[in-house]
Amino acid sequence: MAQKEFSVVGKATPRIDGFERVTGKAEYTGDVQLPGMLYARVLRSPHPHAKILSIDTSKAEKLPGVKAIVHSFNTQVTWASGGLTQKRMIFNNPVRYVGDAVAAVAATDRYIAEDALELIEVKYEKLPYVLDAAAALKSDAPKIYPKGNLSVGDGRVTAPIREQWGDVEKGFKEADKVFEDTYISKHVNNAQMERRVSVAKWDGAKLTVYASTQGISNARGDIAKALDLPLSRVRVVCKYMGAGFGNKNQAQDYDMMTAVLAKTAGQPVKLEFTREDDFIGMHGRWASEQHYKVGVKKDGTITAVELNAITNMGAYRKQSGDLTGCDFYNIPNYKKVVSPTHTNTVVAANYRAPAYPQSVFGFASMLDQIAFDLGVNPYDMFLKNRVRVSKGKSQFTSNEMEACIVEGAKKIGWQEKWHPAGASKGAKLHGIGMALGGYPFRLGLGAATIRLNPDATAHVIVGVVDIGTGAKSTMAIIAAEALGIPLDQIQLASGDTDVTPYSIGESSSRTTSFTGTAVIAAAEDVRKQIFAVAARELEAKPEELDLKNGIVFLKSNPGQKMPLVKAIRKVESEIIGRATTNPTWPEGFDGKCFAAHFCEVEVDRFTGQVRLTRYVAAHDSGTIINRLTATSQVKGGVVQGIGMAFTEELLIDRPTATPINPNYRDAKVPTHLEVPEIEVLFVDASDPYGPFGGKPVGEPPITASVGTIANAIFNATGKRFKELPITPDKILRAIQV
Amino acid sequence: MDDKKGKGVSRRDFLKRVGAGSVGAAVISKGLLDAPGADAYPTEAVEPAKGRSIVSLKVNGKAYRIEVQHRQTLAEVLRDELGLTGTRIGCDRGECGACTVIIDGRNMYSCSQLAVWMSGKEILTVEGLAKGDKLDPIQQAFIDHDGPQCGFCTSGQIMSGKALLLRNPSPSEAQARRALSGNLCRCGNYNREVEAVLAAAKAR
Ligand code: FES
Ligand code: FES
Repeated sequence: MAQKEFSVVGKATPRIDGFERVTGKAEYTGDVQLPGMLYARVLRSPHPHAKILSIDTSKAEKLPGVKAIVHSFNTQVTWASGGLTQKRMIFNNPVRYVGDAVAAVAATDRYIAEDALELIEVKYEKLPYVLDAAAALKSDAPKIYPKGNLSVGDGRVTAPIREQWGDVEKGFKEADKVFEDTYISKHVNNAQMERRVSVAKWDGAKLTVYASTQGISNARGDIAKALDLPLSRVRVVCKYMGAGFGNKNQAQDYDMMTAVLAKTAGQPVKLEFTREDDFIGMHGRWASEQHYKVGVKKDGTITAVELNAITNMGAYRKQSGDLTGCDFYNIPNYKKVVSPTHTNTVVAANYRAPAYPQSVFGFASMLDQIAFDLGVNPYDMFLKNRVRVSKGKSQFTSNEMEACIVEGAKKIGWQEKWHPAGASKGAKLHGIGMALGGYPFRLGLGAATIRLNPDATAHVIVGVVDIGTGAKSTMAIIAAEALGIPLDQIQLASGDTDVTPYSIGESSSRTTSFTGTAVIAAAEDVRKQIFAVAARELEAKPEELDLKNGIVFLKSNPGQKMPLVKAIRKVESEIIGRATTNPTWPEGFDGKCFAAHFCEVEVDRFTGQVRLTRYVAAHDSGTIINRLTATSQVKGGVVQGIGMAFTEELLIDRPTATPINPNYRDAKVPTHLEVPEIEVLFVDASDPYGPFGGKPVGEPPITASVGTIANAIFNATGKRFKELPITPDKILRAIQV
Repeated sequence: MDDKKGKGVSRRDFLKRVGAGSVGAAVISKGLLDAPGADAYPTEAVEPAKGRSIVSLKVNGKAYRIEVQHRQTLAEVLRDELGLTGTRIGCDRGECGACTVIIDGRNMYSCSQLAVWMSGKEILTVEGLAKGDKLDPIQQAFIDHDGPQCGFCTSGQIMSGKALLLRNPSPSEAQARRALSGNLCRCGNYNREVEAVLAAAKAR
């Protein structure tokens, strides 16, 4: 489908805040220094499940420099987004995992705060605990909540999560063959580079929180609710953000702790997590045990899929715990039952495409194995079964999955390079693999204000924060295109709830569509006002005018024109355009991004080491608003998948229930040395509901990566690895028998 | 019942150990070399009562004489005392490289250097690269090649890249990767960072 002609959209545009980012001038939350500011640290539970009998802070209080200590006995603040199905406080009693927050101290410097933590005396009564999700569902398991360990629903989420269409029994009857297998994924941490930090100060009854949040508007709402303050008295500021990948949505416990400490101490407070705090005190991706039953025809066509799964949500349920990797396939009869389960371990919630990479790993491995067993080339298997309708019923507003598969396969040279699994011989075993992915494309509430200044420059005022996706640049590009003025004439005001309108925040890949759509509407509002004035000057009707490159002109006769500046001068001051938009899908339609990933590996037969030699990621994200940042997003998502496939896993010491690798070195996130060139391909696409045809880019790239790598390892070794991460010792054990 | 946090190495423990190690180092260096460098490790022995010392160092060409706590790291002093917050702290335990600065020509983790060790050293931070508004070629390359996603690791990547270019003006791709390998990027922007370093090498 032919792309429209754009002036700014679709190019490779360097970020509008690149200068700040490369000079160190970008101010992150941790860089905020306020006069009289105190430093805070958090004390965490050493027990997986315990009742706190008492907290004695007298020794800590005597330490010179200690200004405030808060804990569950003196501070009862609800953390709304900390628990979907249970009321969770910022300090809980009982504590439910090793790392649950017990107290926080503010002191004149961070060393004193740390010293003070060691002086707090807590008496615990240990309670029985459970670490494994499957064990937690047994009737005799220690109960973490009165109703048991299967996370119960509250209207917003259900448990178990059920989804169904068609008739699986009928589907299995129609099948020539039925396969069953189980796949296991582990808890991995978001591990964003910026540790959690919050700075709070009170000016009388007004609270300002410098937060490291992906969504300032929702953070403001959460904080106001938790502390029972009117929205107008809470200001949340986040100018630069060192990423979160889903674990800094909204407001988190530490934002509220900081606010309470600042209030108690009567001084501004900066609360910083240590790196270990960050690994255990917030959340990572939910681990899963996925049992599939798949019916297929002889040629590989799927007739039915049944998925029964358990997901480990840790001690609190912040998010769904769902598994959605089957989304990318055409499944006529489908039944899914997923049981999000509580255990006394680190909490699991959103990490980039929360429900996808682990379940794509499971289901794409399953299909790849079936293809092998049937003697079908995986390429044909995936192409044949690619998704055509959404959830068995709705049409997609756009779907270029086929192009992703065909073009991606061509780029990597699938037909020349593919060989049956296990056919490679020698010291280094060659393998090639593929998997399908994507992410929902959603529509929803967005708001934007545009101020067109008398000199024809513009301020675009939006509530977005840029967590690294390039959202600020994307908004500026959309505004420049929609207004018809050059990009360098645009300034963005963002990241301050006292100034900017509502934004959903940078989560679930929604900024471009939600807020971007509002930016276009606000620009149209500006243009309408300009055309009304210019029409008189140009002796034309407003609807006959257009604006491009800062020139207002008659569409039918571009020679009849006037500079934008002149038109603005006819208005008394600046021109303000604004819009709140909230589009929905037409009945029977649904949106989605699509991706097909391919990679080649080399497995060392003697060490079990795997080297990724090539990676091709083909994506349908509609019109690409900024090719430079979108390409980076894809590369980055794949890299996170590389970590999840090969090395990452939160390890828990069973006798103490304590995480033993909550740090970068032992968590083993990928480094420069493991990452090949990731070749990114955007297929020609456009969606009628996306801003300028654009669909999300942020989350899709991680979805297919883990499954792709796993399938390539199978192709190299002829051995199927059903449990993540796929480490050299597992490979060696498998290929040496 | 032992209610101490059972979570591995805290920063306090880490610093305690670093301090202990450096006493030995100071003794050895006194024995081997005569003067300069020996006082680069004035540990608690200098002024144990107060736990503070005066340090003279150069940062971005400017000479500073400041009093620091013995337990303060260079990263903390740069950020909290000198206001040079462009040096980020990602782990505070020598794992991620976000805090990388150049000390006497070599890229090092400033979170793992005590400030008291910095007497007489010349330190270059990301703030010292540009001349006014004129960016260093490596900074320009990081903008052009989209080096920063969230940008939190960027200062560190740039400083490791800069240190590489100072000793090897035209590195190969493999050399660039190796030189940056102590700098994690959780946004996974490794391709871009290497691209930018290589482009900066060409631009010189
Ligand atoms: S902050 Fe120094 S290495 Fe991570
Ligand atoms: S750009 Fe975010 S960590 Fe590197």
